[in-house]
Amino acid sequence: MTTAAGPLLNVQGVTIQYKTSEQLVTATWKVSFQADRSDRLILLGPSGCGKSTLLKAIGGYLMPAEGVITLDGRAVTGSGPDRMMVFQETDQLLPWKTVRQNVAFALTASGRAAGQDADEQAMIAIRTVKLDKFADAFPHTLSGGMKQRVAIARCLAMKPEIILMDEPFAALDALTRQQMQEELLELWGRSRFTMVFVTHSIEEAILLGNRIVLLSPHPGQVKEVIDVDLDDPGNRFHGSHNDLRDTIHRALFKDAGDYVI
Amino acid sequence: MLFEHPDTVIAEIARPLSLVEKVWNQAPARKLLILLLLAVVWQWYAQWLKNPLMFPTFSDAAIALWHAFVHGELGSRVVVSLRVLLSGYLIGIVLATLLAALANGTRLGNDLLEVLTAMFNPLPAIALLPVALLWFGLGNGSITFVLVHAVLWPVALSTHSGFASISNTIRMVGRNYGLTGFRYVLQILIPAAFPAILTGLKNGWAFAWRTLIAAELVFGVSSGSGGIGWFIYENKNQLEIAYVFAGLLTVIAIGVVVDSLFRLVEQRTVNRWGMKF
Repeated sequence: MTTAAGPLLNVQGVTIQYKTSEQLVTATWKVSFQADRSDRLILLGPSGCGKSTLLKAIGGYLMPAEGVITLDGRAVTGSGPDRMMVFQETDQLLPWKTVRQNVAFALTASGRAAGQDADEQAMIAIRTVKLDKFADAFPHTLSGGMKQRVAIARCLAMKPEIILMDEPFAALDALTRQQMQEELLELWGRSRFTMVFVTHSIEEAILLGNRIVLLSPHPGQVKEVIDVDLDDPGNRFHGSHNDLRDTIHRALFKDAGDYVI
Repeated sequence: MLFEHPDTVIAEIARPLSLVEKVWNQAPARKLLILLLLAVVWQWYAQWLKNPLMFPTFSDAAIALWHAFVHGELGSRVVVSLRVLLSGYLIGIVLATLLAALANGTRLGNDLLEVLTAMFNPLPAIALLPVALLWFGLGNGSITFVLVHAVLWPVALSTHSGFASISNTIRMVGRNYGLTGFRYVLQILIPAAFPAILTGLKNGWAFAWRTLIAAELVFGVSSGSGGIGWFIYENKNQLEIAYVFAGLLTVIAIGVVVDSLFRLVEQRTVNRWGMKF
């Protein structure tokens, strides 16, 4: 069943708990938000707000204790190739496969394509992230930024319903990060994929998102959902950009002054 | 404004190494040289000692080796030894894989592996030979049993630690592709744990080889065709000391060859993938 009218991703009253050897920890508490098709939804909050945990729940790696997550009307019950993840860690590529094989293997393993077809689709995706020269290189010979580009290429090749990004640029140096952010927006401009992007950087959130979900920590709860109008390109660099930043800053620090972002 | 390069041309960007350098970069070649040096030292010392009954010269041992291979039975002895070794090694690896898979899947399996390896890994395989003889009698059955014991625990232990050290990210990537069950183990877990698995296979081989020769020295003449260990023992009894050394050289040579095979596999896989730890 397709629900063209409803949101693509619906997170409804999601409470996630996990057990340590000592205690039962509540990571998020009755979190709700939606993402429409082609949304660039940002989960923004300080450490401990459960933003990565939420992303893993959308990915199907964790089951909520309460509430439901639906993707295109279907409840999420496990991980699958319709929700591709990009992780923060640069070891997310399979080290025993070349760049091309890494992307192609995602397609063959998930049954999206086979043989020559998978290889060609992989090369197209690798070309879109401008890594065709390194198609036959093994991951350990690539820089951190290049590895993340391969991970993004892998996602694009899979053509998932939604791309889930868990602070993918956090481990990169500032210059590379900026470049990657711009490239990501450029890629989005071309194929208009839906993504959920986790970050703890207000700047990154404003730059990349069109909808920002602000989360407060311990346990993670939604403070505010801000729709950012990026149709006006001046938005990002002028007055309203600063206003937006101040608004987010105030919202995050209002009653949690002792939490550090 | 962009910085303009002066008109100099970079003299060379890459140059193939000379043949000598290439050979020197090969670990087996360097090792061969060391072996040659050892042979020279051996020859010189034995000639100075002049006691062939205690310590024959290298050339005598080499001649004995030639004779034993061409006219004698050393070739068939090697085949006997390697056949027993291979069957014990393979059975040990299969059992170790099952045990490690069980340990990876369940908490109780994990405890089982830890208890068993803690008990049996320090137990020298050869110490089980008397019991093995009691259970399986004189013959290859007993040797295979101690070989399995020698291989099983080190391989299980390193395979297990290899699985345990796979990063959560890689596991999640595999799940993300929708891989489950056997395909997940074969296409994600085993390659990701391969560095540790290879180390385990190497250790398992070394233990098995030593155990085999030791066991053959104790007995090994079951069906009239003993292995290399028995060849050594026999010749010592007949005071054919040069042949004893020929047997020892064979043991060493096989060890070196297998070791360089492992190195080759390592270069083609773990080194190439940047997964060496």
